[in-house]
Amino acid sequence: MKLERQAMNNLITCISLAFLVACIIKPVAAADVSVRDENVCIRCHGAQPGRLGEPVKLWRESIHAANNVACNGCHGGDPQDAVNAMSPARGFLGAPEETAIPAFCGRCHVGVAKDYLSSAHGRALGKGGPTCVTCHGNHLVVKATLDIINEKRCSACHDYGRARTIKDAMQQTEGLIVSIGGRIDSFKGEGVDTDRLDKGLFSVRNRFHTLFHNVDVGMVKQESARINTELNSIAGSLDKIDEQRKKRKLAGAAVVGGALLAALVFYLLRKSYD
Amino acid sequence: MDQSTRRKFLATCLGAIAAAGGGATLYPVYKYLAPGKGDEGLAKATFPESEVPAGGAKFFSFRGEAGVVIRNKSGKLVAFSAVCTHLGCIVQWEKEKQDFLCPCHAGRYSMDGVVIAGPPPRPLPKLAVNVANGIITIG
Amino acid sequence: MIFVKRIYEWIEVRLGVKELVEKNLTGYLLPRNINFWYSMGSIILFIFAVQVVTGMLLLVYYVPDADKAYSSVTAIMNRVPFGWLIRTCHAIGSSMMVLFLLLHMLSVMFMGSYKRPRELNWLSGFILFSLVQVICLTGYLLPWSQLSFWATTVATNSIGAIPLVGQFIVEFLRGGKLVGPPTLGRFFTLHVAVIPVLIASVVGVHLFLLERIGVSKPPFGLDNTKNRWQGDAFRYDEHTGGIPFFPNYILQDMTSIAIYFSLFAAVVFFCPGIFFPDDAFIQANPFQTPAHIKPEWYFLANYQTLKLFPNEFIGLSIQGAAMTFLALLPFIDWGNEKHPLKRPLFMVCAIGGILLYIGLSIWGHYS
Repeated sequence: MKLERQAMNNLITCISLAFLVACIIKPVAAADVSVRDENVCIRCHGAQPGRLGEPVKLWRESIHAANNVACNGCHGGDPQDAVNAMSPARGFLGAPEETAIPAFCGRCHVGVAKDYLSSAHGRALGKGGPTCVTCHGNHLVVKATLDIINEKRCSACHDYGRARTIKDAMQQTEGLIVSIGGRIDSFKGEGVDTDRLDKGLFSVRNRFHTLFHNVDVGMVKQESARINTELNSIAGSLDKIDEQRKKRKLAGAAVVGGALLAALVFYLLRKSYD
Repeated sequence: MDQSTRRKFLATCLGAIAAAGGGATLYPVYKYLAPGKGDEGLAKATFPESEVPAGGAKFFSFRGEAGVVIRNKSGKLVAFSAVCTHLGCIVQWEKEKQDFLCPCHAGRYSMDGVVIAGPPPRPLPKLAVNVANGIITIG
Repeated sequence: MIFVKRIYEWIEVRLGVKELVEKNLTGYLLPRNINFWYSMGSIILFIFAVQVVTGMLLLVYYVPDADKAYSSVTAIMNRVPFGWLIRTCHAIGSSMMVLFLLLHMLSVMFMGSYKRPRELNWLSGFILFSLVQVICLTGYLLPWSQLSFWATTVATNSIGAIPLVGQFIVEFLRGGKLVGPPTLGRFFTLHVAVIPVLIASVVGVHLFLLERIGVSKPPFGLDNTKNRWQGDAFRYDEHTGGIPFFPNYILQDMTSIAIYFSLFAAVVFFCPGIFFPDDAFIQANPFQTPAHIKPEWYFLANYQTLKLFPNEFIGLSIQGAAMTFLALLPFIDWGNEKHPLKRPLFMVCAIGGILLYIGLSIWGHYS
C-alpha cells in the first residue's frame, strides 16, 4: 500500500512538473477570434478628437449601427481601403448639402422620401423648411417614436397647434403598436415563432410612421382606421397564443399535482413496510 | 385499517395514478409522432385571370399574408409572397422597371423574385399557381 | 392474477428467475440507517432515461445541417404537436442532470462513501461527470442559435491555451479554424451516438461495482463511524438484518423520483425561461457577436476562473488541477473516519470548495 501511495504521488508530481515546464517553454498567445474586418472609416475617424471623431461616437448608439449599416452605407466610399476610402471614384459622396438631404436618405428610405417630398414640409425644402436631419438627426438616428413631434422642435417654424393635432390623432394607434411590440418580444423570449407577427407589425408600423411625413391630418385619420384593423388582427393572433399558454399551464398544474400525489402514495406504501 | 388492506388500497391508488400518468405520457408522444395533415387543409386564394393587368401585378391576401401575381417574361403567371424578406414590409410593383421595390429600405427584386439590390437576405418565396377556366388558384 | 402466476412459473422453470429475484431484489439487504440521499443515483438514472427518450423523439424532426438546424428547432417548438413539451423537457432535463449529479457527488463525499474499497466506484462516477459535461457542451450547439454558436466558440477557444497542442486540438474539435458547419457534424455525432453509448457503458460499470462491493453504510446514527475495511481479501459488504431492496428501498427510490418529477414538471410548465436567455431564440450569425455571451450555469465557475487569470493557460491548469484533485480524492483522503463532523480538515476543504464554486458561478453570472 505504501508503494502504491508513492507511485500515485510520483505521478501527480510528474504531471504538475510537466505543466510548469510547458508554461515556461511556450509563452501563450490567446486565440484571437476576430471575424469581422475593421471598417477603415471607423478606425480613422474613431481615433480623431473633436468634430471629426464625433460622428462615430454618435453612430455607435444609432439604429443604423445596430443593423450593420456603416459609414459607406450612406456616404459611399471604400471601407476596406484606407488610401481610397474617400475617393469619388469609389462612390464617396461626402456630406450632402441641405437641399440634397432628402434624396440622400431617400436612397434607402424610398417610401418616406416620396411622402415627404409631396408634403408641405417637402415643398418648403431649401426655403427654411425641415429636412430629415432636423427631426431625426444625422448620425444618432434612433428608432422613431411619437416624441419626435414635440413643442420645442415643431414651434421653431410655426404654431405647435398643427403638430399637436396630428400627434393626438396618432397617439392611440401608436400606443397599440407599442403594446403589441412588447407582447411579441415577450413571446419571442419563450420560443414562439414570432417571425410572421414581427414582420406584420413592422410593416404596419412603417406604413403608419411614413404616414406622418405627409403632415396631412385628414389622411392620417383615414389610414389610421385601416391600420387599426390590421393591428387588431395581429393582437387577435397574440390572444390565441395567450390562450394556448393558459391551457398549457393548467395541464402543467395537473402534472405537478399528479406527481406529488404519486410521491405521497409511494411514501405511505413504503412506511407500511417499515 | 390493518397493514395488508392499507397496502392493497395504496397499491390500487398507485395503479390508478400510474394509468393516468401512462396515458398522459403516451398521448403527447402519439400526437408528436403522428403524421401531419399536409397542405390539403389550408386555405387557397382564387380570383379571375382577367384581374391581372398586362405588365402589371395583382396583390391579394393569402393565408393571412400579402401575395402578388405577375406575368413573367415568357408570359407565364408566377406568384410570390409580397412580404419583403428583410424586415417584412410589403413590396411594391414598379411598372416602368418591371421589378419589385420595397418602400422601407429600397430592397429591389427582379420579376423572378431574386434580390437585385438592397438589404433583403433571401429571394421572395414562390407560391404555387394554377390556372383553370380563366380562374387563378394560389396555393 | 392467476394468469400472471402461470407466466411467472413458465419463465421460472426456464430461467430460474426466483433465485435472481431473491438475490437482487427481495434478498438484497441495505443498511437499516440508509437515507434518501442514496436514491440520488436512481433519480439520475431516471433523468438519463428521460433525456434519451426525448432526445430520440427530437431526432425525428431535428435536421443537423447548419442551414436548417435552427428552423427545424423552431418548427418543433411551434408547429409539431407537443414539440414544445419534448424540447423543453430535454433542455430542462440537461440542467437537472448536472444539478442532481452534483448533489449525488456531494452526498457521497460527505458520507465518505468514496473511501476504500470504493475508489473505483468514485473514479467511474468522476468519468461519468466528465462525460455528462461533454454531452451538455455538445448538445448546446445543436439548436444553432446565437447562444449556441458563440458559447461554443468561447468554450472551444479556451482549449487553445494548452501549449504545443492546444491550437491543433481546437481545430480538430471544430473541424476548422472557426465554429461552423463541420463543428455541427462532429458535435451532433458525439452528442447523439458516441457519448450516450459511453455513458451507458460506464453506468453499467458503476452499477456493477456498486453491487459487487456492496452498498456503503451511512455514518449517521452509529457509535463507531470508522471505515472497517481490512484490505487483505475481497469481502462483500454485508448488511445482515438490513432492509430489503424490494419492496422497501425501491419505494424510497420511487418517492424520490416522483418528487423530482414534480419539481421538473413545475419548471417545464411554469418557468422554462430561466434556462433560455434571449439569444437562444435568434439564429446563429457568424458575423455578429452578441454583447453578453455566457455559458450555461454549470460552466460559469470555469468561465469566471478563466477570466480571473490574465494567462489563459494558468486558468486552465488551475481547473485541471482542481479536477485532478477531485478525481483522486479517495487516494488523497487516506483517513478511516466517515462521519463528516468528525473530519474537520475534509469539512473545511469541502465547504470552502463549495462556497468557492458557488461564489465563482454567481460572479460569472454578473460579470
